[in-house]
Amino acid sequence: MGTDKKSEPLNRVDGRAKVTGKAKYFAEFEVPGLTYAVMVTSTITRGTIATIDTKNAERAPGVLAVYTHLNMPAIPGWADQPNSNAKLPSGGEKYRMLGSNKILFNGQPIALVVANTLERAQYAASLVTASYNKTEHQTDLLKNTQKAAMPGRFGDYTRGEQKEAYKTAPVTIAADYTIPVEVHNPMELAGILAIWEGEDQLKVYAKTQGVKATQRTLAGAFKIPEKNVQVHSEFVGGGFGMGLRTWPQEVAVAAAARQLKKPVKLVMTRQQMFSLVGHRPYTVQHISMGADKDGQLQGIYHEATAETASYDDFTEGTVAMTRFMYACPNVTTKYRIVPLDRGVPIWMRGPGEATGAFALESAIDEMAYKVNMDPLDFRVKNFAETDPEKNKPFSSNNLKEAYQLGSEKIGWNKRDRTPGSMKDGEWLVGYGMSTGVFGAHRGESTCRAQLNADGTLILQSATSDIGPGTSTAMVQIAHEVTGLSINKIRFELGDASLPPSGSQGGSATVSSVGSAVFDTCTALKALLAEAGLAFEEGTVKPVTGKTATMQQVLATQNKTFFEVTKSSKGGAEQDKYSMYSFSIHFAEVRVHPHTGVVRVKRVVTVADSGRIVSPKTAASQMIGGVTGGIGMALTEEAVIDHRFGRFVNNNLGDYHVPVSADVPHIETIFIDKPDPYSNPMGSKGMGEIALIGFSAAVANAVYHATGKRIRELPITPDKILSA
Amino acid sequence: MDDQLRNEEQNGTSRRSFLKQTSLMTALALAPETVLKAAESGLDEKIAAAIETMPLNVVINGVKQSVRIEPRVTLLDLLRERLQLTGTKKGCDHGQCGACTVHIDGERVNACLTLALTTEGREVTTIEGLAHGDELHPMQEAFLEHDGFQCGYCTPGQIMSAICCIREGHAGTPDEVREYMSGNICRCGAYSNIVDAIMDVKQGGKKI
Amino acid sequence: MKQFSYVRVTSSDAAIAAVSKDKSATFLAGGTNLVDLMKSGVTGPERLVDINRLPLTKIEATKTGLHIGALAKNTTVAEHPLVIKHFPLLSLALKAGASPQLRNMATVGGNMMQRTRCHYFYDTAMPCNKRNPGSGCGAIGGFNRMHAIFGASDKCIAVHPSDMCVALTALDAVVTVRGPKGERTIPFGDFHRLPGDTPEVDNTLQRGELITAVDIPFNEVAGHAHYLKVRDRASYAFALVSVGAALSLKDNNISDVRLAMGGVAHKPWRLKEAEAFLKGKKATVDNFQEAARIVMGPAKSQGSNEFKLTLAPNTIVEALKLAAANGNI
Repeated sequence: MGTDKKSEPLNRVDGRAKVTGKAKYFAEFEVPGLTYAVMVTSTITRGTIATIDTKNAERAPGVLAVYTHLNMPAIPGWADQPNSNAKLPSGGEKYRMLGSNKILFNGQPIALVVANTLERAQYAASLVTASYNKTEHQTDLLKNTQKAAMPGRFGDYTRGEQKEAYKTAPVTIAADYTIPVEVHNPMELAGILAIWEGEDQLKVYAKTQGVKATQRTLAGAFKIPEKNVQVHSEFVGGGFGMGLRTWPQEVAVAAAARQLKKPVKLVMTRQQMFSLVGHRPYTVQHISMGADKDGQLQGIYHEATAETASYDDFTEGTVAMTRFMYACPNVTTKYRIVPLDRGVPIWMRGPGEATGAFALESAIDEMAYKVNMDPLDFRVKNFAETDPEKNKPFSSNNLKEAYQLGSEKIGWNKRDRTPGSMKDGEWLVGYGMSTGVFGAHRGESTCRAQLNADGTLILQSATSDIGPGTSTAMVQIAHEVTGLSINKIRFELGDASLPPSGSQGGSATVSSVGSAVFDTCTALKALLAEAGLAFEEGTVKPVTGKTATMQQVLATQNKTFFEVTKSSKGGAEQDKYSMYSFSIHFAEVRVHPHTGVVRVKRVVTVADSGRIVSPKTAASQMIGGVTGGIGMALTEEAVIDHRFGRFVNNNLGDYHVPVSADVPHIETIFIDKPDPYSNPMGSKGMGEIALIGFSAAVANAVYHATGKRIRELPITPDKILSA
Repeated sequence: MDDQLRNEEQNGTSRRSFLKQTSLMTALALAPETVLKAAESGLDEKIAAAIETMPLNVVINGVKQSVRIEPRVTLLDLLRERLQLTGTKKGCDHGQCGACTVHIDGERVNACLTLALTTEGREVTTIEGLAHGDELHPMQEAFLEHDGFQCGYCTPGQIMSAICCIREGHAGTPDEVREYMSGNICRCGAYSNIVDAIMDVKQGGKKI
Repeated sequence: MKQFSYVRVTSSDAAIAAVSKDKSATFLAGGTNLVDLMKSGVTGPERLVDINRLPLTKIEATKTGLHIGALAKNTTVAEHPLVIKHFPLLSLALKAGASPQLRNMATVGGNMMQRTRCHYFYDTAMPCNKRNPGSGCGAIGGFNRMHAIFGASDKCIAVHPSDMCVALTALDAVVTVRGPKGERTIPFGDFHRLPGDTPEVDNTLQRGELITAVDIPFNEVAGHAHYLKVRDRASYAFALVSVGAALSLKDNNISDVRLAMGGVAHKPWRLKEAEAFLKGKKATVDNFQEAARIVMGPAKSQGSNEFKLTLAPNTIVEALKLAAANGNI
């Protein structure tokens, strides 16, 4: 690996389980004596619970307990922590589910009902009533910008003499961009199944992107050793970021299970998932940009203001891309958060970079038109050969080749660049492009290999797979290092007792865990060599000059298997180079001038993400990211009625995740060249860049089709008609 | 009767009022007094289980199932919580995502909006009923081959829906497939591959 | 969901008797809306009378038109050769609604009985005069992008969500209902009602009345039909605005025309004035635009649905253009 050799497209190693319905997700484990938890949530946004009446619920058939702030069992780890976040810009509050009578956001749980059947728990939950002392709430970011604070992370940045550069440049643009609340909405409903197998022995089936993180959180909450917490999460029905935290309700369910001495399962409702498992924050951005008449960028000013909760600082890299993406001498970025009476956001696929890229790449397109240049040529002209933010070379950057390949595929140069010039019957035709970028991260990860006497290789690491196909990629890496047949390799994940790994997030799994697999398999080869054995022709054979088979060697060593465990992390090269994955998106759209309907007709998406370890699943990642990008661009928006502080479309009927009819055939292209420094495989991350920037490609295509620059997502028919 | 109870009676929220109102009770020829007495002596749980449930006979994946369930139990919860047929997924519980798609008498429906009792005497097929032993159904094979999924959670519903999409004669073109598969949301965004898988099965012409 | 009793009936009489005697009883057909509403806590019948086994599924031609049993599934109707031949608008409208799975479950009668999808109606923590008379209308002054521009009242601005009903009202369908007092017919246009002061009442059915059939008289407009549904995603979404248009064209002269709109009012919105204007005129964009202008007179924005004042007439024009151009489908 780490060479130009291409990997074979491989069917998912766990695909059979998924297409037969045998794959078990957290809520699907059969546990004797299982009980069901249902949450009751607040109908006000801010204030206190005056009274809460649980009598009817308690008397309903099958009910085992109704927990409220009045009788919730103490969670020792919570009680320990300071009761205030006063040092945080978001303020001094602390949210503890059922910890007090305080209501900090609408949809906050006020009771947890446990019953012996799901239907009984649901019904009993409907019988809980509460009265409140309401106080004024603030959920509207635009009305609370005076509270904007600079978070600890993502401080202000300036390169050059930014202040005046964009104002005094010969050509300038300035505009505001808005991203609504978007919600991850993985298809699987969130929740947890908690079983206490002793006073301090907890086992959970969880929906998490990090089994170790969930283990740590639960161990901390109950003040028990980490090894006493078993976390199982082999199959996860999507996450997109919402599984990067172990949410308070999951801890609360474990607490209920402990007190009841019964297994308790919580499957949240789709409605509850809008308030209680994070979202992409509503963000307003301003970009000012200056260039000379030849299209050389002179200055960029990018400011982003995003919501967070009153009880937690949520931050993300919204303005990160602007700092280094283009060769521009003067750049200033600012990032602010505004505490509001809402549930806390969490990273959502592409996270802040996707939000920022919409603004930056829309502005780049606008500037290109303003200096009368093709947006692609404009980007090439302002291409940063080295990272201007960190003043380091890129570990690899094949953007120019990506521009070339993508533009050829979509027929970029065949279009008439003039806005509104192309038609297909009544429909206006538009082409748009954009760039996406995300850090090529690599964390520390450990892998254990067990080579059995029958020649099967088992690899283990406490990582997760929320969908990208982690096991498939790992098996492929092991296969390529060892040469062992694919069907003899099994990768085990989703269990916190396995050797430690980080959470699945930030497009770092293949890089981190894959490196551990790579190093472990390499070490295994060395171990075999010492024993006079080697991987050969898909199996293990004695090396030349030796005759003892693996079985014989194991027998003499009194073992049933060979075993190696290796940790792996990046070295000095991580600091020497600026490491990023890049994507280029091209979209062709149709816009109906009279109904305002926008349809994406064709997509070409190019990934410069190093060497592709698993081409088939990588392509699926790309089309998945594009599909998410179509949603971000055209359909997705969670709306709060600020009078009530309550979502008014918190369901899959009214919050429009794209359906099949929204998504055309998507062409994926991989540069597929190894990055010399990223990791032993030469791979870089893929999950985020698949989505980052795509919404701008659509918005730019809409501009090309109509001459209308829509800067507020999603681009729904009303926005086209009123622009 | 105290005020509290009287209120509950009026609101129809108490156990007693429910037991009084339920007409099944009369069907079972139990005098209301007997039932109320039982309720007061703490036997209501058992009696509730007896009178609030009804028999259901339904064939699921070729196996006759005879169960007693409350009328409010949906087919989806019957499958997942009582019969351990967890291949059928719950994604929204309101007919808005298609993850729970199963076949009833060969037609695709949302199990989450189907009260289980309405399937009396019907034949239900779930994802678990497609493969013959180790031999996958051609649609399962095609999803595997085309990587028509990522996380796999919507997949059973997609596959059940895809089979009907072809059977119904709605797989003529990729665009037609897109429209007739739009009742199954895939958040991972595997649509493009799913359409390829369906077109492949359609063109393969195998009996599905 | 609260507990309820369940009874499966095999005759219409038994069904009607069961529901008319018991105020807390209701008919269960496809369940796609009722079960959803019960889960959401919006409605909570004590007794469900399952009418799915009643013999009301027939679709057959009569001397004057097409007879469709109230329990015929949406899919069956949409795919029926007689429907496609004589009433393509109905087929197109049905196929524009919901998803294939839901259309396999939903019945003609049930589709007519659908309640609004207004979020304030669905969310029991919000005020809603339709769900809880006197509690106020959350949508007025709130998020009302999906809401009515015609016929709304200061009590309710919700819209009827059905596509099928848009076609049926355009096609002059007649509804047959049976109740404790016998059978009667209701012109489709009179079946649903405007909210007025009693938005909790969706239609003109009396307690215990069961929809048994819908009859559509033959017409001359099968040759040029189009159902144009503008929505926020390409499929599986409710209409921002939808228009059902059907024309009879001879040498580009409009001899008959049917026009109705969805997503704009508390009931399917028939555009009779536009029809009257167009009859006898040429099928030209100018005439279509004038027809659209005429019917938009009483339209009123509620705030976030302001765009419908532009979208609605535009969609009328586009639907007419497409219907005129499509020819027989």
